[in-house]
Amino acid sequence: MTSSQEQFVQKEIQKISLPSANTMRLLEINSNPEHCLQDVIDLVKLDSALTARTLRIVNSAAFCPLVPINSIDRAVSYLGEKMIVGIAVTESCGKILNQPLEGYESPAGDLWKHDLFTAFAAKEVARYAKNGMEADLAFTAGLLHDIGKPVLSKLLENASKTTIDALDHGEAKDYLAAEKLVSGVEHAEVGYQLAKYWQLPAPIAAAIRFHHNPSEAIEEFQPLVYAVHLGDIIAMMSGYSTGSDSLQYTLDSHYENFFTFSSNELTKIISDTETAFRPALESLAGKEEN
Amino acid sequence: MSDLVLGIGDFGVSKDPSTSIKTYALGSCVAVILYCPTIQAAGMIHIALPESKVNPARAKEKPGFFADSGLPQLLSALTKIGGPIKGKGVRVKLVGGASIMDKNEIFNIGKRNLLAIKKILWAHGLGAVAEEVGGTISRTVSINVSNGEVKIFSAGRGNWTL
Repeated sequence: MTSSQEQFVQKEIQKISLPSANTMRLLEINSNPEHCLQDVIDLVKLDSALTARTLRIVNSAAFCPLVPINSIDRAVSYLGEKMIVGIAVTESCGKILNQPLEGYESPAGDLWKHDLFTAFAAKEVARYAKNGMEADLAFTAGLLHDIGKPVLSKLLENASKTTIDALDHGEAKDYLAAEKLVSGVEHAEVGYQLAKYWQLPAPIAAAIRFHHNPSEAIEEFQPLVYAVHLGDIIAMMSGYSTGSDSLQYTLDSHYENFFTFSSNELTKIISDTETAFRPALESLAGKEEN
Repeated sequence: MSDLVLGIGDFGVSKDPSTSIKTYALGSCVAVILYCPTIQAAGMIHIALPESKVNPARAKEKPGFFADSGLPQLLSALTKIGGPIKGKGVRVKLVGGASIMDKNEIFNIGKRNLLAIKKILWAHGLGAVAEEVGGTISRTVSINVSNGEVKIFSAGRGNWTL
């Protein structure tokens, strides 16, 4: 990356608002393997906007509880930790994740759908971990894995054809390498710089940096990073992608060291992910207010 | 021209010549596109997975999500708007069924989708006259009801006709 490209990336990163203090605290709680749901409930209670949004969503048509839920304790238990993270991240980062990615020929909203589908898919994949893992953390890391794209998109503007040509002509082995060839940097690296600027917890930052090269993550974080790697691929296969880079990455088959599932079980992962994703997308998009 | 847009697991038919049936971002999913030139009717389905046995509840709610539960319903819907009862004279085109850049068979859902779809089409005496399938690209596809023209778009690669 040239110094002018580096300066551009740093300038764009600093333009992005930091997530709210409560969202950052929630991500820290979520990344701590010793946490319990009560920690999440206590945090939500401190945030009136998050409390109101959580109660609106839990009583929306997408989740339709048998009787209205008015207590935040019950709402968090009913929705689960992953949805609370989803609500908080939507509030804090919705603006950046909902913007169009001109550099990828991807319309507004597609990145957010891709991230949300990846989150649910990574959580489903986590169920097939050989040694067990934190499924809710896989969800969170999936939700944030592509935060570098809105920044890099600006460097790649009008370059999606050039990037695809680099791939088709064998000048790059995958889209990540093609991005680097065209812009001097890849979206995973830009995302990692943003993660450091935001001071995101280390496991989430690792998933952002290495979701296309999971074997390069430190051993401790590899199960999580592989879950996000697979979730990302499943999202692209399922049609939730961000334009020109869809399916243009390599699957790292070493995932088999951490997860075991058959082809039929993969179809179940896809189907279950779609089932969980739909109501979450509708409610987080605010359709519960219609 | 108005678009009848199909989401994942949706299917639709139309005889309105001012309409185009369209579905976005086929990854490993497959669009089966039917056209009946004698009555200028078209149909399309966006299939995600081959077999409904993995999630019967989902198949009940959205039959088009699976090849085995959705394809018979698309053929039936086309018949209801005047298409031939046994599909005779219906032109079939297939688009999608891509895979990730790897030879891992577990992840080759696109290939499994295509095999399941072709098996069902054969059982109905139908076969594809044109295909734009496989590979590692995402495709958006539309059919113009007035003339049966099928157009494909892929970001970074532009438009072409099938």
